[in-house]
Amino acid sequence: MSSVPLTAYLMLALILFCIGLFGALTKRNAVIVLISIELMLNAVNINLVAFAKYSLNPGLTGQVFSLFTITVAAAEAAVGLAILIALYRNRQTVNVDEMDTMKR
Amino acid sequence: MLQMSWLIPLFPLLSFILLVVFRKSSNENTAWIGVLLTGASFVLSFGAWLAVWQGDGIKVEGTWFQLGERAITMGYEVNPLNALMLVIVSLVSLLVHLYSKGYMHGDERFSVFFAYLGLFSFAMLGLVLSPNLLQLYMFWELVGLGSFLLIGFYYFKPEAKAAAKKAFVMTRIGDVGLFIGMVLLFWQVGSFEYDEIFSAIKNGELSQSMLTLTAICIFVGAIGKSGQLPLHTWLPDAMEGPTPVSALIHAATMVAAGVYLVAAMYPLFQASETALTVVAVVGGVTAIFAASIGLMQKDIKRVLAYSTVSQLGYMMLALGASGYVAGIFHLTTHAFFKALLFLAAGSVIHAVHTQNIEEMGGLWKKLNITGPLFLIGALAISGIPLLSGFFSKDEILMSTYADGKYGLFWIAVIAAFMTAFYMFRLFFLVFTGKPRGSQKGVHESPSVMTLPMIVLGVLAVVAGYLNTPWFGTFLTDYLSQGPVELLHADHHGPVWIPFVATAVALLGIGLAYMIYQKGSVSRDWLTRTFPGLSHVIYNKWFVDEGYDRTVVKGTTGLSWLGVWFDKYVIEGLVAGVVSGVQALSRLGSEMQNGQVQSYGTFAIFGLVLLLLIAALSGGYFS
Amino acid sequence: MSTWLLSILIFSPMLGVLVLAFVPSHDEKSIKWLGILGTLFPLGTALITLSAFDMSSDKLQLAETYRWISYEVFQSKGEVSYPIFYEVGVNGLSMVLILLTAVVSVLAAVASFSIKKNWKSYFILFFLLEMGMLGVFAAQNLFLFFIFFEITLIPMFFLIGRWGYVEREKAAYSFLIYNGVGSAILLIAFVSMFMKTGTMNFEKLTETFSLPQEELNAVFITDGYMMGMLIALLIAFAVKLPVVPLHSWMVSVHVQAPPAIVMIHSGILLKIGAYGLITFGAGMFPEEFRSLAFVIGLFGVINLLYGAFLALTQTDVKRVLAYSSVSHMGIVLIGLAALNEAGITGAVFQVVSHGLISALLFFLVGALYERAGTSELNDLGGLAKRMPILAGVLLAGGLASLGLPGMSGFISEFMAFLGLFEKMPILAAVGTLGLILTAVYVLRAVLAITFGTEKEQHETYTDLTSAERVPAFVLLAAIMFIGIYPAWLSDMLRPALDVILLGLGG
Repeated sequence: MSSVPLTAYLMLALILFCIGLFGALTKRNAVIVLISIELMLNAVNINLVAFAKYSLNPGLTGQVFSLFTITVAAAEAAVGLAILIALYRNRQTVNVDEMDTMKR
Repeated sequence: MLQMSWLIPLFPLLSFILLVVFRKSSNENTAWIGVLLTGASFVLSFGAWLAVWQGDGIKVEGTWFQLGERAITMGYEVNPLNALMLVIVSLVSLLVHLYSKGYMHGDERFSVFFAYLGLFSFAMLGLVLSPNLLQLYMFWELVGLGSFLLIGFYYFKPEAKAAAKKAFVMTRIGDVGLFIGMVLLFWQVGSFEYDEIFSAIKNGELSQSMLTLTAICIFVGAIGKSGQLPLHTWLPDAMEGPTPVSALIHAATMVAAGVYLVAAMYPLFQASETALTVVAVVGGVTAIFAASIGLMQKDIKRVLAYSTVSQLGYMMLALGASGYVAGIFHLTTHAFFKALLFLAAGSVIHAVHTQNIEEMGGLWKKLNITGPLFLIGALAISGIPLLSGFFSKDEILMSTYADGKYGLFWIAVIAAFMTAFYMFRLFFLVFTGKPRGSQKGVHESPSVMTLPMIVLGVLAVVAGYLNTPWFGTFLTDYLSQGPVELLHADHHGPVWIPFVATAVALLGIGLAYMIYQKGSVSRDWLTRTFPGLSHVIYNKWFVDEGYDRTVVKGTTGLSWLGVWFDKYVIEGLVAGVVSGVQALSRLGSEMQNGQVQSYGTFAIFGLVLLLLIAALSGGYFS
Repeated sequence: MSTWLLSILIFSPMLGVLVLAFVPSHDEKSIKWLGILGTLFPLGTALITLSAFDMSSDKLQLAETYRWISYEVFQSKGEVSYPIFYEVGVNGLSMVLILLTAVVSVLAAVASFSIKKNWKSYFILFFLLEMGMLGVFAAQNLFLFFIFFEITLIPMFFLIGRWGYVEREKAAYSFLIYNGVGSAILLIAFVSMFMKTGTMNFEKLTETFSLPQEELNAVFITDGYMMGMLIALLIAFAVKLPVVPLHSWMVSVHVQAPPAIVMIHSGILLKIGAYGLITFGAGMFPEEFRSLAFVIGLFGVINLLYGAFLALTQTDVKRVLAYSSVSHMGIVLIGLAALNEAGITGAVFQVVSHGLISALLFFLVGALYERAGTSELNDLGGLAKRMPILAGVLLAGGLASLGLPGMSGFISEFMAFLGLFEKMPILAAVGTLGLILTAVYVLRAVLAITFGTEKEQHETYTDLTSAERVPAFVLLAAIMFIGIYPAWLSDMLRPALDVILLGLGG
């Protein structure tokens, strides 16, 4: 078997998640924010797969779940982009800063 | 007769209630309700006095309420001392009721006046009948209420309003002293009863310092009520009330209650030499102090008021100098001649409608009943032999000398000289010489007013024979039946004392005659010789002004300080808390900027914080 | 009947609400009369309760207990059940206060005749308030006490905020915030006690806290905990009483609320603070209470003097009376601090007596305001001429307030000071200064209104109407009755107070 330890996978996932989180919280462009969210989801996928392989009784559950996640993420990205386009049509911008209607 | 003595105060109370109900009646016959009911009390009081004279006595008590195991009682008691007081109070009250029928004629609130007189008589008689300190204290305050209402009877006059308030507050200061003394005694003895207090003192259950402390506290009460230094300033101001009130309350009865209190608690004072000395010194100083002010006053009632303060000082001096009988004796005679003087002054005021003696003069012929009666009163108070004041004043001087208080003795002699002088200054200015001011339609008062004066005039002459070295010491024998052990029952002071007393009295009258009648000595002789001193005396030693500048200013200053504190510190603290909360909430609302990203950031940081706490505290939340 | 009596009493004001619901809101006259009738019913029930009350017994009487809420909690020691009951009952102390509530409510309803608008909602809130007050005094467990305690707050808030004078809303908010903080502290203390002991019943709590220290330690109740609880309770009730420096809300309520509501507020609501101090403070934590006695006495004297000094220079008679209430509540503390029969009895007497006296005085000030449109001392004066009865009763009320013998104020002051003089004579002697100051400010205010020369604009004023004389004379009669025959009240109170004193060991 390969000698890559579990922690390496987890560390990769952590870094990926943090990059995604940072992007999601700071980027002004809504498209980038969406992409960042995808990054976070993929970090989770890595975790799922890694645990599925390295846990006490390895199985396929993790892989199956990550497939589900990918599916849901695709759907979510589609819905998210659709909303984004609708917003763009209404307000001529994808800048997140200007989308503060929740305050009003 | 004695079994019915509880009715004595209830008759005037009934009169009060009835007259309050009929207060709107314009029929002046309502006065007879008061006169008749007070008369009934007088008859009962006189009967009680006769019974006590024959060696009888009564004490009835019942539980008022229960305080733990201790019962607080109420009841009534008749003993030699208070039987005498009962007679004095009910008699003067009766005469004043009668006199007021004429004096208050035509007043809008005629019936209300008699109602108040009834209330006062009720309280005063109740005070005298009390068998314990608590009950005495209660009536003591009610007497103050009666005095307050009557001083403020002309409620629309600002001076009357101020005087009534001053009287209540100044006596209240004294009352608090009495209150403290009474409560301290209660915790030492376990009772408010006179008997139990006295037997505890006799058995030495109280420490010497406690005895002195309680005696002085109780004496503070007497100072307030009897207008002694330094709480005397209310009494002259109380002259704003109708004149019959001044005669009844501020000459004969209520102000004497302070003397009565000291006499009733005499065993307590006897047990503490310090307390007795305090009483004597306060009395002596007050006697000469007030007499000196009386020398220069221009208001007829104020002269009499200062004279009252001075004479009360005499009584205190007597009590402080172990002259128990002398004090009571002077109380009795003073009640008669001072009430007489006030009623006569009232009659004069009734005739000339002014109180300023500078605007009177030459009234002797016009007021041919009032004039001689006033003269009798003036002679009696000056201590002219064979009149009542001579005997009682003489006894005071005797006992002061016998007690070894020589300084106070000479003070008292000088005060006697001043008394004779200012009384006759008054007499000459009012009744002799030429009429000054506008005197129109001056006529003698109706018989309903002169009759009480005549009765008092007779008493002012004969009351002295109650206790004389020549005809027998009836009063001494009578009072020694009471609970007080008379230490120096008969003072055999030096023989020259009566002569000295008579001499100074005559000297005072003579000087007054020379200045105000013959004019051989200039009137402003004193003012010219001692301008500074006479200025101070004329302004009553600036005591009122002194109180205004210190106590009154200090209290209002403290009050303003409190208002400031309330407004700025306490309200400020509240405002500070409010603005702090507002600032916090503003911070919170600024965080809500409507952007999902910042919400997400806060959420993440919050989560991290929680996880950190969980990790560091070792999983407390799990 | 008698098994339900107390519950009927507590909820009897609801009948008024029910009836009022069917009356059109513009029918002023019938609403006002129904308002009075609605308070007469609780008064009648209270009198029946009084007749069923055995004055000589020191047991809880007319008690009712129903299981109400219960929940289980899993703890390390296993499943623990926390039951909450509906428990009511009366002892001598609460009986007296219930009676006071019923009487003052009727008179306040009469005084409510001067309310100008929204009579229907006014009286509905009024009845809710009365229910809350009755419930507070009858409740026998912490939960119920707290619920009724809160029920009094909400109607009070609206009554001040809607029907008060100019700055009514500010006063209402400051009332709500202060009392809200007080109740929050109270709630925390109550919940904590419930969690520790598993019961909310007064008697059971008292029993638990009086167990020997070893047994208490076993259930994690330490000395420090009990002291902490007592201090929390003291602070919570100090807001209500109020104790300086937590008094400023009370002054603004007294000044801004309508007179009828001030009668209730000053007459009864403030007394909840005193009731709480006696029942919870002295009753449940006697040991700790005793060690704090000096502090309580000190606060009492501070209250007494502070209120009196501030009342001296106020120019609005309502403010004078408000600060006089602060001052008089100091006497309650003084009496409690004495920890002896005289002191505690004096404190309770002061509670009742001040309830009656301040109700009377605020009623008269309300009547005066009706006529003059002002309560500034400088604008009044010489009113004894046109309104002799109002002036006379005002003077009598003032004299009662300054402790004239023959009036209830004297008995309470006398007993409270008598008690304190046994334990702390120096403090008590300082406190007697308050008696003088009280005389000064009361006479200053009363004489400024009634004595002096009459002003021109007063010539049209009329004296108290016969409808207004009823509350004035009833209150005055009650004040004098207690003053002349205090045994009636002290006999009723003694069994209940003896139980507390036994705990205090005094």
